[in-house]
Amino acid sequence: MAQTAMSETYDFLFKFLVIGNAGTGKSCLLHQFIEKKFKDDSNHTIGVEFGSKIINVGGKYVKLQIWDTAGQERFRSVTRSYYRGAAGALLVYDITSRETYNALTNWLTDARMLASQNIVLILCGNKKDLDADREVTFLEASRFAQENELMFLETSALTGENVEEAFMQCARKILNKIESGELDPERMGSGIQYGDAALRQLRSPRRTQAPSAQECGC
Amino acid sequence: MERAMEQLNRLTRSLRRARTVELPEDNETAVYTLMPMVMADQHRSVSELLSNSKFDVNYAFGRVKRSLLHIAANCGSVECLVLLLKKGANPNYQDISGCTPLHLAARNGQKKCMSKLLEYSADVNICNNEGLTAIHWLAVNGRTELLHDLVQHVTDVDVEDAMGQTALHVACQNGHKTTVQCLLDSGADINRPNVSGATPLYFACSHGQRDTAQILLLRGAKYLPDKNGVTPLDLCVQGGYGQTCEVLIQYHPRLFQTIVQMTQNEDLRENMLRQVLQHLSQQSESQYLKILTGLAEVATTNGHKLLSLSSNYDAQMKSLLRIVRIFCHVFRIGPSSPSNGIDMGYNGNKTPRSQVFKPLELLWHSLDEWLVLIATELMKNKEDSTDITSILLKQKGQDQEAPSLSAFEPPGPGSYESLPPGPGDSKPEVLAGEQEASADCQDVISVTANRLSAVIQAFYMCCSCQMPPGMTSPRFIEFVCKHDEVLKCFVNRNPKIIFDHFHFLLECPELMSRFMHIIKAQPFKDRCEWFYEHLHSGQPDSDMVHRPVSENDILLVHRDSIFRSSCEIVSKANCAKLKQGIAVRFHGEEGMGQGVVREWFDILSNEIVNPDYALFTQSADGTTFQPNSNSYVNPDHLNYFRFAGQILGLALNHRQLVNIYFTRSFYKHILGIPVNYQDVASIDPEYAKNLQWILDNDISDLGLELTFSVETDVFGAMEEVPLKPGGGSILVTQNNKAEYVQLVTELRMTRAIQPQINAFLQGFHMFIPPSLIQLFDEYELELLLSGMPEIDVNDWIKNTEYTSGYEREDPVIQWFWEVVEDITQEERVLLLQFVTGSSRVPHGGFANIMGGSGLQNFTIAAVPYTPNLLPTSSTCINMLKLPEYPSKEILKDRLLVALHCGSYGYTMA
Repeated sequence: MAQTAMSETYDFLFKFLVIGNAGTGKSCLLHQFIEKKFKDDSNHTIGVEFGSKIINVGGKYVKLQIWDTAGQERFRSVTRSYYRGAAGALLVYDITSRETYNALTNWLTDARMLASQNIVLILCGNKKDLDADREVTFLEASRFAQENELMFLETSALTGENVEEAFMQCARKILNKIESGELDPERMGSGIQYGDAALRQLRSPRRTQAPSAQECGC
Repeated sequence: MERAMEQLNRLTRSLRRARTVELPEDNETAVYTLMPMVMADQHRSVSELLSNSKFDVNYAFGRVKRSLLHIAANCGSVECLVLLLKKGANPNYQDISGCTPLHLAARNGQKKCMSKLLEYSADVNICNNEGLTAIHWLAVNGRTELLHDLVQHVTDVDVEDAMGQTALHVACQNGHKTTVQCLLDSGADINRPNVSGATPLYFACSHGQRDTAQILLLRGAKYLPDKNGVTPLDLCVQGGYGQTCEVLIQYHPRLFQTIVQMTQNEDLRENMLRQVLQHLSQQSESQYLKILTGLAEVATTNGHKLLSLSSNYDAQMKSLLRIVRIFCHVFRIGPSSPSNGIDMGYNGNKTPRSQVFKPLELLWHSLDEWLVLIATELMKNKEDSTDITSILLKQKGQDQEAPSLSAFEPPGPGSYESLPPGPGDSKPEVLAGEQEASADCQDVISVTANRLSAVIQAFYMCCSCQMPPGMTSPRFIEFVCKHDEVLKCFVNRNPKIIFDHFHFLLECPELMSRFMHIIKAQPFKDRCEWFYEHLHSGQPDSDMVHRPVSENDILLVHRDSIFRSSCEIVSKANCAKLKQGIAVRFHGEEGMGQGVVREWFDILSNEIVNPDYALFTQSADGTTFQPNSNSYVNPDHLNYFRFAGQILGLALNHRQLVNIYFTRSFYKHILGIPVNYQDVASIDPEYAKNLQWILDNDISDLGLELTFSVETDVFGAMEEVPLKPGGGSILVTQNNKAEYVQLVTELRMTRAIQPQINAFLQGFHMFIPPSLIQLFDEYELELLLSGMPEIDVNDWIKNTEYTSGYEREDPVIQWFWEVVEDITQEERVLLLQFVTGSSRVPHGGFANIMGGSGLQNFTIAAVPYTPNLLPTSSTCINMLKLPEYPSKEILKDRLLVALHCGSYGYTMA
């Protein structure tokens, strides 16, 4: 009988959102993150798209379940219904469009209200490669991030600069919060689930714990 | 002399013992002399024969080259075994497969032989060609006691066979608990992988050995996947071993989540997974809630993925529906005690049990938002662009009269897309954006319709599993009402959705009626498929259609009293079993199988209308039947009507055609469609004409003095029967004459035979649910029950008459027959039904077609042409009224419209 390995192996699963105005490059960020390629023929997203990837954050395997939402106003009600239970979100604006930057406050309110107060947000100023057309300065945006307790990066879905970093930083922050007890994965609607880590740890002698045990030993 | 004496002595001894007393010289012959004695452990004889011979005790013989010691060990002939060993037999002699006598003794559990062999220093560590040692053999068969003795002698209890399997592996696979314990006590490696990385626990799980798995886990066995990453849990689930899964979860609680996640894996067989989850959920209330909540979460994520357009529709849709099916199944079964399960389930939202649906609310919320979004877009679209349908009509209307056509044909899929930009060019540029948006909106619908419909199906399943069977959840009905317009838009664009996902329609007549016009517009074939798919969907193991019939389920009928005996036996038979399959045997005959079933239906369908029983009467045309209003002369008539209904229901259920044709009105009764005055023609053509006359003419000043009552002859006395309460004093006027005609029609057609109809339907509905049969109209029902007849077009042409100006040579008539040749067989049948009211061609062909009053040839009458005019017919005189169409194309088009639409309601024609 052909038997296939049936379960993916990871320690945690995080539900992520990508939000922001239409045309800021949300889908391209997701595509770049997952496929490591720039998506040329981008249309407006209809409703919500989905992607997932397992990343290694400080020795822990984390599966990101990413919901990429449409930025167009007419899809707003549909996309909002995906917010609930998200653990992290990329809040995206376009550095060459002040309009997208101005809309951030609304997106931020939505995320905190509809997802969770504890949602971990990272602000992404996308299209960093179009510096010549810049309308929003780094300084201004980072001040906004600070005021609203957001992490902040400028990214380029075209070159891939800082794209993986954005997802990683966000995941790392969530993991820290779990370890510090600030977030409880067991709580319903936390947007976090345990994975089938037991399996992996048994298969190959505990990669993450063995060294630390030695450190303690000596 | 001495020689002779000895010879004689030997002869006597031999004769006395009935065997030779001397071994033959040659080993091969000798060994076959000895073998039966060894097998029977006749050690004295063997000893005697061996004493004076030169026989080689290690002589190997036979196909597998065994020695006599092998034979003794194999058969447990311990005395012979010792004898042979004393004579110098080699205890470690290996046969062609590498087996020693010890292997054979171990395999067969010959305890004494084993210990003797060990005494004579047999080597326990010898492997056969497959690498199996004596302890492997003991472990396979679970001979714990012997194993206990043997392990003392074994140097390595973990000795591996060719596949790297130890005795512990094989003991686990076979579930020998004590053997496993014994091996473990003797120091066997509990986590030893074989060549493919499979551990003893893996082996126990692959065969669902619950107890063995428990022992292993209790003693700290690790949970390890094999080299392909297949885990013990995977194996348990594949095999549907619920109890073993339970043990695994006891020791590794995280696996619980893994099982729930496994529902997404399409390679796993659904029934196995369902079996496992069902078992787990029945262990405790908390486990039950945990599983369902988990499933609900997985379903929600899957549903959301399905709603994201880049996901694979087919895979995601199947996955969602599978998870939801399992979810509903487990929910319905309830935890351990099934009695309290269901009650609490639909007891409203207060009980904790309905909490398990909570995660799904997220998905239903998204679904709702999606539908609202689409409704908004539709609305916007309607306001923006001028009415799309009218553009469509204008386009089509150039050469044909489109309005009536499009009223019958909902725009097919893709028809919106094919629209030209149209009004866009004449409008100012500002609108260009909106135009684009509306095209975009069409796009949104076409890409999401299937996905949303699948989620709707999932929603329906979840709603109904909280309801008692047969009831539709108010929440779902409310949902359909709320999104009525969007749902109709979906099915209009892609009617296949109805068949794929809108199963709820079949189970809920209220909802069905909203979509009926769309459903009925679907091809007969598709509806047939849907009908049969659902007819059989509720049956267990529908993949096993031809199950062997048990003797008790055979219907044993008497040929000479076939009607009565069949009626008796069918009324006693188990209805559910009959639905699955029928087996008939005639008393005193051997034959069984499809042929006999066929014959049974044939005979019965003739018997049902046998005039001796007075159940059915012929209608005016002499070929069709309907219930006899006087059937009560047969005191048992209602039982027989019920039986007739059962037979027709059964025939339909099993796709057996019957050789009976009923009147149009009776088909309508079966379908629950109200009869109309034209149906009266089948029993009283003259009266039908009078009713028609009343309707066609102004009756105000005729002084008919009709009231809403009729006089009927009841046992020779005239009695006035009111058509409605107080009808005797209500005058029929020009304004209420339609109601009068309807009521009087119902009186003649329905009320007179109401008890018979009811009894018939009672039987029919035992096999065919009313909601399903509704998919068809009365014409199609006839085809379903009696089959599609063969139609000989040449015979038809030969026996057709022409009137009111038509001649055989007229171009219109030529065109007509050319069209008849062109159209499909199904459409020809529709035409025949359209004109004659029946799909039946009588014996002897079209020459014998009957009308309301005797032979009545198929006739085509001319009608002056006006645009838009459709052909009509007078079924009681088999007349087609064919307008004088200006071209063959228009004739064909109009004719087909009439056939396809005329078949669902005269009102449109």
